[in-house]
Amino acid sequence: MWSGVSEGGDASSKAGVTRACALNLLVYTTPWDDHGRLEDLLERINEQHPGRTLVLVAYRDTATPRLEGYVSMRCRLLGGTGKQICGEQVTIEAGGPLLETAATAIAPLLVSDVPVYLWWKDIPHYEDKLFDRLAQMADRIVIDSAAFDHPYDDLLRLSKMIDDKSRRMRVSDLNWGRLTSWRTLLASFWDVPAYRPLLDEIDRVTIKYRSPQDAPEEIAPKALLLAGWLASRLGWEVVGTAVGKATRGTEEGAVCELRAGDRSIALAFVRDETAGPDDVIISTVTLSAKNGAANFSVAKRTDGSKLETEAQIGSERSVGRVLAYEIRTEAAQLSRELAFLSRDAIYEAAVARVAQLVETIRNQKTTP
Amino acid sequence: MENPLRQGIRLEQAAEPCTVVIFGASGDLTKRKLVPALYRLVQQRLLPAEFGIVGLARTEMSDDDFRVKMRESVAQFSEAKTVDDEVWQSFAQGLYYLTADIGTADDYRKLAGLLERIDRERGTGGNRLFYLSVAPRFYAAAVEQLGRAGLTKPKDGSWVRVIIEKPFGSDLESARLLNQQIHASLDESQIYRIDHYLGKETVQNLLAFRFANGIFEPLWNRHYIDHVQITNAEAVGVEGRGGYYETAGVVRDMIQNHVFQVLSLVAMEPPAHLGSEAVRDEKIKAMTAARNFTPERVKAECVRGQYGPGSIDGKPVPGYRQEEGVAPDSTTETFAMLTMYFDNWRWAGVPFYIRSGKHLPKRVTEIAIQFQTAPHQLFGADVMEQVTPNQLIIRIQPDEGITLRFAVKVPGQITHIRDVNMDFRYGTSFGVQLAEAYERLLLDCILGDSTLYARKDMTERGWEIVMPILDYWAGTKGEGSFPNYEAGTWGPQAADELMERNGSRWRRP
Repeated sequence: MWSGVSEGGDASSKAGVTRACALNLLVYTTPWDDHGRLEDLLERINEQHPGRTLVLVAYRDTATPRLEGYVSMRCRLLGGTGKQICGEQVTIEAGGPLLETAATAIAPLLVSDVPVYLWWKDIPHYEDKLFDRLAQMADRIVIDSAAFDHPYDDLLRLSKMIDDKSRRMRVSDLNWGRLTSWRTLLASFWDVPAYRPLLDEIDRVTIKYRSPQDAPEEIAPKALLLAGWLASRLGWEVVGTAVGKATRGTEEGAVCELRAGDRSIALAFVRDETAGPDDVIISTVTLSAKNGAANFSVAKRTDGSKLETEAQIGSERSVGRVLAYEIRTEAAQLSRELAFLSRDAIYEAAVARVAQLVETIRNQKTTP
Repeated sequence: MENPLRQGIRLEQAAEPCTVVIFGASGDLTKRKLVPALYRLVQQRLLPAEFGIVGLARTEMSDDDFRVKMRESVAQFSEAKTVDDEVWQSFAQGLYYLTADIGTADDYRKLAGLLERIDRERGTGGNRLFYLSVAPRFYAAAVEQLGRAGLTKPKDGSWVRVIIEKPFGSDLESARLLNQQIHASLDESQIYRIDHYLGKETVQNLLAFRFANGIFEPLWNRHYIDHVQITNAEAVGVEGRGGYYETAGVVRDMIQNHVFQVLSLVAMEPPAHLGSEAVRDEKIKAMTAARNFTPERVKAECVRGQYGPGSIDGKPVPGYRQEEGVAPDSTTETFAMLTMYFDNWRWAGVPFYIRSGKHLPKRVTEIAIQFQTAPHQLFGADVMEQVTPNQLIIRIQPDEGITLRFAVKVPGQITHIRDVNMDFRYGTSFGVQLAEAYERLLLDCILGDSTLYARKDMTERGWEIVMPILDYWAGTKGEGSFPNYEAGTWGPQAADELMERNGSRWRRP
């Protein structure tokens, strides 16, 4: 393919083609995914992370053996130089009994000595052999917990998978990446020395969220991850049972009881019924201390374009501020994850707490 | 007290509440760089809500006028060319302006009052960063007045820092005097002498490249390196700043500060850790080992030049002496080449060739490490004809990256050997826009990290090294037959001849 490029075209294009390879990106997807959109996204990813892309389209619903592959390349002009930076893409379509062995067709196609990222662009099939084989080839697995169709089950499986030390999986979650702005703004309250002692006196956390479309009865994974992060970072233990379903004004939600030493913390998940753009999952997070005497909140505007922060201590209100919330494209989110290779211990600890929360909420639901 | 929620928030550090006071707020730097950089830092959530900016200048202006002006600048110098109303309003609430004269004590009392008010209104906690973006002659007066008004002494648990722009002094004596003057009111740990070259990603990458890789450092010494070339070329001329340039010249303007900072990062020993003092200790240790210049050495190992009329990018440009504000018989150098040696174990006998100049063919800053030739030549002279010794080139600007040059056999029945380049380019491997140097440096100062700022000893050592050159050239003005290079060429022929005498050749960047 590359010799074809250097032989064809005029002299200027011959001189200008540079192959670049910083990583292998292995994409697992399904036939019903929007492939036009996926191609656009990979185009943009290649600009920031030039490398070899291997797309595995899995036909899970067919018994007919199928294994087909084709190769293409992707180039962009390097600003001002007239040079083209190129990477290649191999697409493999596999189905029937050959799906499970497709990994062996992929392994020899990986470029050696550069990291392998597996982007699992589907609902979790974490127990199946194909996932296991692909995951073993990968240095890091990128998932999106927002796409979980059974959030509680899937989060528990995710936690188990991460916890399984023998698999030593390093996981990136696009949904966790989307929480970075929230985490940064919540953390920034406690950079103010005067507020810092109040962090050890928090007694209530309220997270307002929109329900996942596929599972309206369950709490959105993003809201659970944020709660899991707070609990794990602040050493809040999940107490075995939830204190019950709480009603607060007209809003309904679940309340979990957490504990830090002698202090009890009520963690309330409140469903937000107002309409808004799809990507607004969390609408408000409020951390309260001293029985509501101090409140720290971050809220997203209904249109999703801005974040607003405010701290209130007694009758004093601190400086609030409004910041632009850049809605990152999926390509930008993925691109950011591809910059990291090491284990994300903070995420792993958050997921472990999420699993405890999910079990607690489930127990409470099944308890009459 | 540690903030447990901070840990693990990727790439993002915590800055404490503070107020940034910009002296010279009606100037170009404030609108082009400083306020846009602070705005971006706020938008990237790298600065807290409890944050304020005070612009200070002689021009009469209200807070609102200043906000309107700054809004225009931020929009103009942002990629989107526009700012959101509500987001701007939220940022602008923390923008203040004070009409003040640097020499008037009463204005500092007003400033102190305003800062206290901002502490109350915005919870900035008494932390203050004074940015002196004014003419160098005002540095000492501003610091002295700040000291008299009690503004340089931090209150309990808070901090006060001062950023001083370049040039830091115009010779060794004035730099020492300035250090002495500002030390009367400030401790060295409060002083941040800015050199925006150090904010550049590639300069910072020098540390990573040298000390995070195992294969280069063992070669980084006199046993394997033949010589080092540092080129700092500008395509532009004096750009209407002829008056200033007449008092400066390229050694003062570029070499003594920017180039020496880069040079010290190339020559230094590995620091014990990345703390600011540890890194800066190693830099000054290296510069202390730099061999001093004597008149004989200046004559034999340095070259000065001044551009005459020529052309850049195909367009004719006037000579230096024809520029506005320049004397028709000026002997100010617009080009200089220095041969430096470090008399220590690592570098004994290895020349470091430095050149910097205006109106050279293109804007480029790079470090080229030339390795020694292979000890025994297996291949015949005709086969090796096209081969140069191995080179490692670190490109600082533009097109930032690293290139390693080595010899390979040309495919075919006959043995031919040729040089090839192995290239790394930031633009192709990361595809990200590199952060603006001022953003990084301002954030570092707010975070209290002075690694990328010049310490007192380094500024003085820089002057110590160049003074004999400047003195010798000042005393032998008649000897330079200026202009001696055409604008748009790589400097005077004498620079090439000096390299040839040493058996080397300038790389064409």
